[in-house]
Formats: sequence, structure tokens, C-alpha cells
Amino acid sequence: MGVAVLLKQVPDTTAKISVLGTRVDESAIAKWSISPYDEYALESAIALKESGVDELVAITCGPQRASKCLTEAASVGADRLIHILTDADFMDSCTLQSILSSAIQRSGCDIVLCGKQAADTNSGSTGPGVASLLGYSCVGSVTEISMDGGKISATRLGNTGLEKIEVGGPCVFTFDKGEVELRRPNVRGIMMAKKKPIESIGIEELGIEIGSPKTSLKSHFSPPEKPPGQKFEGAGSIEIVVSKLRDEANVI
Amino acid sequence: MAYEALDFYDIDSLLTDEERMIRDVVRDWVEERILPNIEDACREGVFPDEWRADIGEMGILGAPLKGYGCPGLSYTAYGLICQELERGDSGVRSFASVQGSLVMYPIWDFGSEEQKEKYLPGMASGELVGCFGLTEPDYGSNPGDMITKAEDKGDYFLLNGAKMWITNGTIADLAVVWAKLDGVIRGFIVEKGDEGFTAPEMKGKHSLKASITSELVFQDCKIPKDRILPDVKGLRGPFSCLNNARFGISWGAVGAAQSCFNSAKEYALSRIQFGHPIASFQLVQNKLSWMLREITKGQLLAYHLGKKKDDGTWIPEQISLAKMNNVDMALEIARMSRDIHGANGILDEYPVMRHMANLESVKTYEGTHDIHNLILGRHITGIQSFTREP
Amino acid sequence: MDITIISEVSNDSLHPVTAQMVGAASSIGGPVSVICPGGFGSVEAAKIAGVSRVISVEGDCFDSYDSMAWSGAIEPFIEGDLVLTSSSTLGRELSSAIAAKKGFPVVQDITSLNDGISVTRSIFSGKAIEELEVSVPCALSIRANAFQPADVGGEAEISTVNVSQQVSVAVKEALAKAGERLDVAEADIVISGGRGMGNPSNFSHLYELADEIGAAVGASRAAVDTWEEIPHSMQVGQTGKTVTPNLYIAVGISGAIQHLAGMRSSKYILAINKDPEAPIFGIADYGIVATWEESIPALKEHLSAIMSD
Repeated sequence: MGVAVLLKQVPDTTAKISVLGTRVDESAIAKWSISPYDEYALESAIALKESGVDELVAITCGPQRASKCLTEAASVGADRLIHILTDADFMDSCTLQSILSSAIQRSGCDIVLCGKQAADTNSGSTGPGVASLLGYSCVGSVTEISMDGGKISATRLGNTGLEKIEVGGPCVFTFDKGEVELRRPNVRGIMMAKKKPIESIGIEELGIEIGSPKTSLKSHFSPPEKPPGQKFEGAGSIEIVVSKLRDEANVI
Repeated sequence: MAYEALDFYDIDSLLTDEERMIRDVVRDWVEERILPNIEDACREGVFPDEWRADIGEMGILGAPLKGYGCPGLSYTAYGLICQELERGDSGVRSFASVQGSLVMYPIWDFGSEEQKEKYLPGMASGELVGCFGLTEPDYGSNPGDMITKAEDKGDYFLLNGAKMWITNGTIADLAVVWAKLDGVIRGFIVEKGDEGFTAPEMKGKHSLKASITSELVFQDCKIPKDRILPDVKGLRGPFSCLNNARFGISWGAVGAAQSCFNSAKEYALSRIQFGHPIASFQLVQNKLSWMLREITKGQLLAYHLGKKKDDGTWIPEQISLAKMNNVDMALEIARMSRDIHGANGILDEYPVMRHMANLESVKTYEGTHDIHNLILGRHITGIQSFTREP
Repeated sequence: MDITIISEVSNDSLHPVTAQMVGAASSIGGPVSVICPGGFGSVEAAKIAGVSRVISVEGDCFDSYDSMAWSGAIEPFIEGDLVLTSSSTLGRELSSAIAAKKGFPVVQDITSLNDGISVTRSIFSGKAIEELEVSVPCALSIRANAFQPADVGGEAEISTVNVSQQVSVAVKEALAKAGERLDVAEADIVISGGRGMGNPSNFSHLYELADEIGAAVGASRAAVDTWEEIPHSMQVGQTGKTVTPNLYIAVGISGAIQHLAGMRSSKYILAINKDPEAPIFGIADYGIVATWEESIPALKEHLSAIMSD
């Protein structure tokens, strides 16, 4: 029984995001990393492997530089590395989900772990979309997962708080930040990762039908400049300020 | 603000993927574990044991050594490890330098097969801590005249003497001690618990406060015959160790300088005086520009030296140059950075004065600045000017 | 075009975002159906002006949450070319699953919607915005408070359907909500107190407010240095933690440079200080010159009113 983990390479969360023309300027991005929620998925995948899963397959879809995600996954224990190579700077949900579902089928894994949303798009469509296409179950916002004789238990963050759930059969788990500490690769892991081959596959080789794009990116732009600071006298102004926080700033 | 290590001439592009990954692992660990806790460790004068354990787990000790559980990495990787550790604190880097270059290295190069099997794997994992006993209270730059003595008593050696300024001494499980046996300097492995051996801690330091500095005291210390390092005699032994450590230090100093530069730059951009950030004033820009120049030069020296170490074409004088230059520029940068921070620079809110104080030690240990200067002088002229003898 | 909205429920009543979705739909035009999973909120939904009909989908599968089961149960009743949900976690999971089943593209958390269909949404946690063109039929999830709600006054017909759908996720146990306080470095909202709080025991007011609105509590270096009771782990600033929350509320903090270094990248800063010359007003988006004694109770009242929606 194998576990697949879906990893997305994104600009590091500390990277400078600026818009040049109509696109975010990739050349200004100093560091690319595994999307943070995906790191929790990877950590949990390794923990599952340690409790008796045969094989951990790491999958990524992206340009050449995305292979770094797979090498990092290998340095902490991933066995098999699949890279779906594409230079597309934007992909609609249907296309991406078809590609990843096909890669998962190729991996032969019934259990799929991924982050609940990527740090660049902040969407969260991939996990449930892929589960739907594959006919797998789906558990979202997982903070902890464990396996006991084929049955998987997990803790998920529901509307009313944390819940312990159980699920059998093929399933996609999307991960939230958990209590677990993300392990660091060590030198041994890094040197061994060098030896693990990466299966690089072009989209055409997957043998799936990709229709014409159903969503297109028109442009990126910087958020509007924040208005200059506003100063108010007295606690009586708090009601106004709070509604500004909601309506102007949209932070509550 | 995320840490951006100054890399003006893009040394990063010259590194292999593995070197970059290893550097990043150490950098992330320093961010997570060292930076939030280093000021407290300094105030209390402790080197937390968790750091030893983490460093061991990362597998970075004895970086360039091959076999016996050692990492077998390039010298460039070793340099990067030192750079990132010292960006955190020179005391933390000192722990790793001593362990790897001054204890693991001599056992690896001059030890017997049994000694290598016995000590190297435990030291590589950090379970065993080592220290290096060369310097004595009255013999620092002049180790050749040391008075610590070993006598062959038939079925054991008897050691008498004292060593001073020994990093890791009090926490060490073993010490590689250099002493004269029949007038010839030999290396001996002394273990904690050997009769007649104590390692009291030296207190009251203003520098390297988050590092353990000790004396090693040998009073009729008995050690078994199999503890002598069989394959080396004379100063060649300790000097080969020091050359390795000095190499690491030349990179480490770059790390400390990068940390001070970063802090100065961020401070100058946020500190407003006379209605403008001080980064807009010419004298401040002059200082930042000088720092950038010196760090860039230091990086290139260290990087090229690493390549020469890897392909075996190096000579010790090249290491002297790099150690001396980089530590000197790092200390100047720390001072200049403190100046840019104004009064705030004296608080441990900022790392600069800690680096400044640490670098005073780094300038003196592993061969003082002046000694390296004279090593180069001798290389240029063929004439030694260390002593008054002909 | 036909528009289907999947209603959002909170605390057993219809969440205001449902009326906002109806409002958003009006910019596209066309008959609007509202589907209520599990039947919750169907009566209120029928009263929203502009809703043509409400379909209350009921069954055992709605007793606990299983995104695949719920989407499987409601998908057959969706006939629209445009499917809208809220961008809550639940809304996103449902819209993704339904879109995949139907072969629709899905775009999450949109903040504007125009004919075309053209949408905008934020990316990189708000550091940039993207404008997309989406072909119809499609699914979209709507950010709360980004659209004007439709008025009350509708009289839509409610039809009830019963479904039986396999549930594969079994809820075993509800765990007590973690009593742990949020960490300043990770919370969306941080409230920090400075020496202006007067007394470390006054931090209890900040804790109460924080618990009410789900925020973390931090402190300035001045507070940490002056009072033993305020631990270093709460310190926001140069040697403390650097935080980047959506909203940073600084109470009784003057705004010295070391503190600013730790929080200046917050999305929005609200400062409360009785000294009108305090430097923190220089970087605050919203500054209130008032004492904390008057301000905290008022903040608590107004913030919890808005946030409990």
C-alpha cells in the first residue's frame, strides 16, 4: 500500500511579491519552497510510512525548478519521485486536477495527502477536486493522521472544533497546520536524495484528454495603496473604526 | 523581515544543489533554534545541550572527513556550514570547529584503526564531545615550547601540565592533548574520567559567552598506552588541525559579517532622524558600501580557498590569508554596524555587539592576526620574523 | 443564465454571505435557486429578494460533514450554469467537488464579479490580485463582505427532497477545543500591550478581548522588561517575534523602533494610545487617541458584534 503526497513549489512565504507589467515578477523571487501546508502533508506522509506503509510517492506538477520539491521530499524519506513537467504559467482547475489524478493513478496509491491550499493561489480546490475525479473519499483540514491495520484515523478541524474521524478505502486528506514538528533533512538524507531518480513526464505522456482552457489569466496587479492613516479622538470613535476594519480594510 | 544573506557576486550560483540544501538546513536551524535563544544563552553563559544534539542530528560534524560515520562533504560545504553557524553565533560555530577540525580530524588522520572506530562515529553523531588541548597558560603563539609533559611508564603514560582556553573542555568526553614525550610533541587522547584529569570551566568572559571555555589540568594523569596518536610527531600534528579549523573560520567570519551588515542595513532604513531614514545620509551609505565591498571580497577568498582545499592544491599560507583577512574585516564590520545602530546597538536587542565581542576572540584564536601576518611575511621574504633568534 | 447558490449556515441560522451571494448574482442576471444542504436555513433563504426557488436537500448524510457525500447529494439538483458558494472551508470544498463532478472550472474566494465572466481574487495572501476570465458553466466561491447583500422581501417556494447518500467519513469523537492560546506569530489578529497598560494584571483585559475574537496576545519589550509576569515569549519586536497578522492592535505602546521592526509588516495596524504624539500613530492605519480603560470594553463590544456573524 502506498501513500502519495502532492507537493507544490511556490515562492517562499518571505519572498518579495511585486508586479511587473501584468504579471508577478518571478525574477525578483529569491527563494522557492514547498508550499507550507504541503510540508505538513509531507511530514504526516513520512510518519505514516514509518508505521508500515510500503512506499511514499512524492508528486509535483510544474516547471524544471519544481524538481527541488521532490529532492527535498526524498531527503526526508520519499521513495519515488514523479515530476509532471509543464511550463504553463497558469492552469485552470480542470486541467490541473486531471493531471494530478492521472499522476496519482500512475503511482498506484490509494491514500493521497496534500496541503489544504497553496500559498500562491490560496484556493484549496485541488484536494476535493482530485478526490471527486478519482472517486476517493476526502477529509479536509486535517491536523493529525495515523494508521492502524488499514484503517486511517485523523483529527480534522471542523466548524465546531476538532473532531476525530475514521475512514476506510481510498481517500484524499488535505492538511492544515498541525501540532507536529516538521522534521529537518539531515546531511545523510540530502546525500541519499541525490541517488533517487526523478520520473519526469510531460503532460502528453499521461495520455489524458486536456480540453481548451476554461479559465484564463488576464492580469496580475498590486493591491490598491492603503489610504493614509486615519486618526480619531476618544473611545467613542471605536464603533466607526471597527466598521472601517470590516468595510475598508476587510480584516474582520 | 526575512534574512537575505548578502551575496553580491552571486556565489550561490557556483554551489551544487547539495551544498545549497545543506547550507539551507543549517540556516533554517539557526533561525529556529539559535536566534530566538542566543541572547539568553549569552546572558547566562551557557551552551545548551539541545544544540549539541541538534547539530549532531543534522550530520554536519566532521564535514570533510570520509568514512567512520562522517559526512564526507566538500570543503565548500564545510565552509557553508561554518558560515551559517557563525551568522548565528561564533560560539556555536566554535563548538563545531573544535569537534570536527580539531578532534575528529587528528584521530581520522593520525589515529590507529581502533581509535578511529572507537571515537569517530560517536563524535559524528554528537553523542561524544571532544576538545583540543594545545594552548597553555604561558604558551599561546609559541606552542613549540610547551611544557605539558608525557612520560612513558611502561604500561601507561603519565601526563603533567595544564592547558588553557580550551573550547568544550568541561563538557568533553575526550580531549586530544599535545604534550612532549622525550622532548617531541605527540598527541594523546585523554578521556573524561581518566585518573588525574580535570577540566574546570573558565568564567567571567566578555566574549564567546554561549560557549564553554575551560582549563585542562593534568596531575599525574594516567592514560593507557593505546591512547597515543601513532602517526604524527612534532608541530605538524596540531598545525594540520589548526589549518582545517582556520579554513572554517574564514567562512564563519563571513557569516558574522553578513549578520551585522543585514542588521545595519535594516536599522538604517527604519531609523528616522531629521525627518529622513539615516540610510539616506552619505556617511551611513559610505559605511554600508564599505561593508558590502569587504564581505564580497571575503566571500570570494573563502570560496576559492574551498575549491583549492577540495582539489588539494592549497598551501597553509593561503589559509592564513583568508582567516586573517576575513576575521579582521568582520570585526570592523561589527564595530561599524554597532555605530550605525547608535545607542540601540549596545542592547542585546540587536546581534551586533555580541558578534563584535565574539570576533575579538576569533581574531586571537587559531593563530592571532599578527601571527598570520608574519606567516605571510615569511612566505614573501623567506625570512621568519616571529622570534629574535637568527 | 441560471444561477445556483449553495447556502451557508452558521450557528443554526443562515450566514449573511448567502444574501451577499444573491446580491452578487444580480450583477450577472438570471433566475436564482438556493440549495440548502440538510435543509438548514431554507426558510430564511426563501425570504431573500431575488431568489426564485429554494431546494431543501435533506437526508441522514447531513448529520455530520463529509464533503464527497454532501456534494454527491446536492449535485443532481444543480441545474445552473453558475454555481456559487461562500469561500469558507466548507464552501470551497463543496464547490471544488461539485465542479469536478460536473466538469466545470472553479475559482475560489472572488472579490469582484462581472459579466464575461470576469472575476478578481487575491493571491499570495493579499500581496497581489489576479483578474481571471472564466468560461461558463463554472463554479465560484465568494468572499464574505465583498458583495452587497440582496434585501429581505422575497417569497420563494421551498421544495424538499430526500436523499440517501453513502457517507464514508465517520466522526468518532468531538475533541474539546484546544484551551491553548494562539501563538502571536501565527494568529490572524494580534493584540499587544505596552507599558501604557500600567500594570501587568491589566493584560487580563487583553486576554479576554483576544479570547472573544480569536486573537493572540503579545507585548512590547518595555512591558516584558518592566514586568516579570509578562514573559519573553510574548514579546513582539526585534529580539522577540516578528509578526505579520491581518490586524495588529497596539494598546498603550509608544512605537519605539525595536517594536516597529517586529510588527510593521502587519496588513493593518490599529493603535490605541492616550498620547496623541506617540510615534506609533505614524505607522498606524487607524489611530485612536484614548485610554485603554475606555477603549478595550468598546472594542470588545463592537468587534464581537461584527465577528460573531
